[in-house]
Amino acid sequence: MPDQERPRVLVVDDNHDNADIIREYLTSLDYPVAVAYDGEEALRLFEEQRPPIVLLDVMMPGRDGWEVCREMKQHAEHGRSVRVIMVTALHDWVDKRQAIQSGADDFIEKPFELAKLGEAVQRNVRRLPAHS
Amino acid sequence: MDKDHLFHDEQTGVPTLLAALDELRHQIVERGELLVLYFNFRRYSKIEEIYGWEKLDEVLTTTASAMRAHLAGTPLANAALIVPFTGDDDFMVLHVPPPATVAMTETQLTELVTNLQESVSAEIEAEHGDEIAALFDIYVGRTHVVVDPKIRLERMIYRGIRDAMAAAMSVEARERARKISDLRESIRTRGIYIEFHPIIVAATGEIFGYEALARGVMRSMRSPEVMFEIAAQANLLWELSRLCRERAIEEMPTRLNDEALLFLNIDPHDFADPEFTPGALRVPDPRRVVIEITERTAIKDYPKFRNQLSAFREAGFRFAVDDAGSGYAGLGSIANLEPDFIKLDISLINCIDENFIKQNLVETMVRFANDQGAQVIAEGVENEDEFETVKSLGVHFIQGFYLHLGRAMPLSSRSAATTA
Repeated sequence: MPDQERPRVLVVDDNHDNADIIREYLTSLDYPVAVAYDGEEALRLFEEQRPPIVLLDVMMPGRDGWEVCREMKQHAEHGRSVRVIMVTALHDWVDKRQAIQSGADDFIEKPFELAKLGEAVQRNVRRLPAHS
Repeated sequence: MDKDHLFHDEQTGVPTLLAALDELRHQIVERGELLVLYFNFRRYSKIEEIYGWEKLDEVLTTTASAMRAHLAGTPLANAALIVPFTGDDDFMVLHVPPPATVAMTETQLTELVTNLQESVSAEIEAEHGDEIAALFDIYVGRTHVVVDPKIRLERMIYRGIRDAMAAAMSVEARERARKISDLRESIRTRGIYIEFHPIIVAATGEIFGYEALARGVMRSMRSPEVMFEIAAQANLLWELSRLCRERAIEEMPTRLNDEALLFLNIDPHDFADPEFTPGALRVPDPRRVVIEITERTAIKDYPKFRNQLSAFREAGFRFAVDDAGSGYAGLGSIANLEPDFIKLDISLINCIDENFIKQNLVETMVRFANDQGAQVIAEGVENEDEFETVKSLGVHFIQGFYLHLGRAMPLSSRSAATTA
């Protein structure tokens, strides 16, 4: 997408190292990145910055990724347009079902390779209304 | 912390009772009366479970805007449309007649409420289609609160709301009794008809079979979900099921060509019906009949259930697990039934072209089915994007509204009917 401005990505992970690695990688791909280290902060940044793409860790203290995802997707104005990628090991059918019911659009398995994470972000960017 | 969001429902933008009361208090005291309308929305067969919470959110948004639009042209134009709580799915209208106006008469109110119900239903049907509209009923209860200075205002209003809610419930009970009587009449007069929904071979577009869907001739019985839910309440499930089976099988020779399969929905309760036996189903060739059993009904006693299935299997009938993947049962319970066909739940297909997790799940199911010697049917395919996506994921057969637009081709060779 050389002609288009890259959309902002919100990275949510309580593990600072993980979050920083993802931030650096996506920044190197020219994505503007915001980072939140817990669910509350994620929802606050979501409200403030309206990022079109969210990379969301599931296992977090306090509000977990499922809860945060559901809340983002139920957002009255921005819920329909945001694409949420869960970063988790969705082992079986039941986990994936839960992901769909929380409104998630995609997932990438943990532990992840950065290249795969980049692909996941890209395929979701392609699904954004302005990029299709 | 900012609590503003507790006073307005985010989805519909409708204020909650507490927010509205604060504004209305002065007017209520001055006028000395308040009209409360309580709207109870009855949803059949758990619309959220079938279509997901997103769909109900959309329907409620439509409902709120349709109510606002309709009320704007009535004497209740200035009334407050509110929700009891944020995220709730009932609505209320609080109305204080403006100063120096006469309150509406009971007859005028009844007419207004009837028109409002009709206009909301029409809007839901226009926006979301008749299948969704048929799953909705609106029951309205009303009370007049006359201010008594001896009683605390809030308590008076809360009591008024409870009375209006109870009135709405009693309208619902009356309507249910009417529907039960409509169902009895439908069964007595055999007043149902069968729609045959085509199922095509994904690769060729040829018609492979038809799912029989029963609808009541009476308007109140047009939705199969409503009909069967009323039958369960009235203890008429077996009677209704027998009639639906008979009607579908009767019409096989005239409505299906010689090779197409008939997919017949069977409720797990039907297996307890002494009249439900392979011999009692008067089909020309049992190999052309596929019995669909829904995954939605929990099957607790698998060994017993499988024994019942085996009598049908021996007679030549085949089986499909319907709504597969709808619950949390996982693939193990599907394997237990040893189905010939697996029909994917509509929630997995809806917008599958947009959702990579759904694509992953369907791919998993296709692999699983191939291992088990079963074939996968994608149900509820509504547009070209969904159609192309499920086809590319290896789904064997496709069913859905998209095909009703004239895309299904009659079966042209004998081979397709014998591939399963």
